[in-house]
Amino acid sequence: MIVHLPEAHALVAKQDLPIPAWLFAWAASIVLVVSFFALSAAWRKPQFEEERWRPSVAWLTAVLRSWPLQVLCGGLGVFLLGVGIYSGIHGTEAPDRNFAITFFFVTAWIGFPFASALFGNVFPIFNPWRAIARVAGGAYGLLARRPLRHLAYPERLGRWPAAVGLLGFVWLEVVYGSSGGVAVGLEPHAAGVAACVYTVYTLTMMALFGAELWCSRGEIFSVYFGMFSQLAPFGVKDGRIGRRRPLAAATHWATSVPGSTAVVIASISSTSFDGAEDGAFKGGLTHVGGWIEGLGVGPLATIRITDSIFMAATVLAIAGVYLLGVKGMRSVPGAPAFRTLTRGFAHSLIPIALAYLVAHYFSLFVYQEQAQFTYLLSDPLGTSTTDLFGTAEYGIDFNALTPNVIWYVQVAALLVGHVLGLTLAHDRALVYWRDYRRASRSQYWMLAVMVAFTCFGLYLLSINAS
Amino acid sequence: MTAPDLIAAIVIPSAHLGHWLWIFYVIPLLIVIAGILRSTHREKKREREERE
Repeated sequence: MIVHLPEAHALVAKQDLPIPAWLFAWAASIVLVVSFFALSAAWRKPQFEEERWRPSVAWLTAVLRSWPLQVLCGGLGVFLLGVGIYSGIHGTEAPDRNFAITFFFVTAWIGFPFASALFGNVFPIFNPWRAIARVAGGAYGLLARRPLRHLAYPERLGRWPAAVGLLGFVWLEVVYGSSGGVAVGLEPHAAGVAACVYTVYTLTMMALFGAELWCSRGEIFSVYFGMFSQLAPFGVKDGRIGRRRPLAAATHWATSVPGSTAVVIASISSTSFDGAEDGAFKGGLTHVGGWIEGLGVGPLATIRITDSIFMAATVLAIAGVYLLGVKGMRSVPGAPAFRTLTRGFAHSLIPIALAYLVAHYFSLFVYQEQAQFTYLLSDPLGTSTTDLFGTAEYGIDFNALTPNVIWYVQVAALLVGHVLGLTLAHDRALVYWRDYRRASRSQYWMLAVMVAFTCFGLYLLSINAS
Repeated sequence: MTAPDLIAAIVIPSAHLGHWLWIFYVIPLLIVIAGILRSTHREKKREREERE
């Protein structure tokens, strides 16, 4: 007798996995629980509070921080920003054929976090706005014969401008641009105009508060990429490049500057929303969208309003889960103030933010970079009239990664990210609770947070793959 | 009952099963939360007994 299973909604994932996708979430949860007990038993003194800084040889610092290299890299950054803006405004409106979209939203937006987590804070030397501000500041100093005076930055704002800007950037990409497209839905013209507007805004802020200060507080990309660089084993201290214990720099990133927790939560929630938009949230978006459209709102406005509501809900949900974890810690005797805990454990979310980024965009990055360095480089405007490097006819090899390889990389990234997050949280708990038993007890709720984020991340990925 | 009717009668209506897959992802979290609540309760009880 044949029993038919009418799987109308494609329950079978595209991958050819030996076990169901949800079992990976169970296995990941077991690994996290085992890691938690291993940390509780064997990790009784903080290890990451000291960076164990080892400066590199002097000539390496001299070369990497030399002014010719700074001029070259800064100039390259300004040139590529210019190419992006020009091709966005004057090139084809097909997002997958225009240099601007892949360059802004894949090469830079995804590439710099990966590079920063591996090699340290590499963005400042390429930052086009910093380069322009430094040249303009130098020129002003020569002409006026005095350095440009800046306003005092309101320190209580901290990194909040960057957190809000980060959400704004992602909103532009996935909500405003959700009218249709290939890799990224935003129209190239809109991306070009947005880059112009952001350039004017950033240069104004740099003129008001100083380039370096604005880069450390409000410049979205410097703060965002800089956050991931805290995980790297390389850094700069007192003007000298050197090595440090991986992850250790992150321990002090969020404690002293307000808004840092918001930056890392904005990072996780924006990636989550981007991943859930076409998968887990699809039914809800359609339902709410139908209701809004019933009120007489136009189709495009309906999509944008609905997406905005869901994006805001995602941010609140991620923040809520984290704050619940902090609230749980607060219940353990000897706990510091709620605000201290909120800031004190925010750095433990940075590996998770990176894990989400790898899990959601790793395959997009591999595919789109083939386009970036072949046909988009040869024909940046996408008009099929230029072939600068003879690669305009190249295509993307979608067989470069199999669905199973993508899935295993995603699972591994999420698992490693959350175990590292758990480790950083445990390490910080040992600073706040000198008694390791209480420190371990305080981490019960962070374990729940990590399991929640892992299962949520794997659920989003499994839905997108089905 | 004809053969096609018999087959139609035993088809498992799993077309919308996918909408409930999220439950499998929530179960580990529920187990962990239950474990945390139990451990917290036991530790508080032990502390109370030690004080007494």
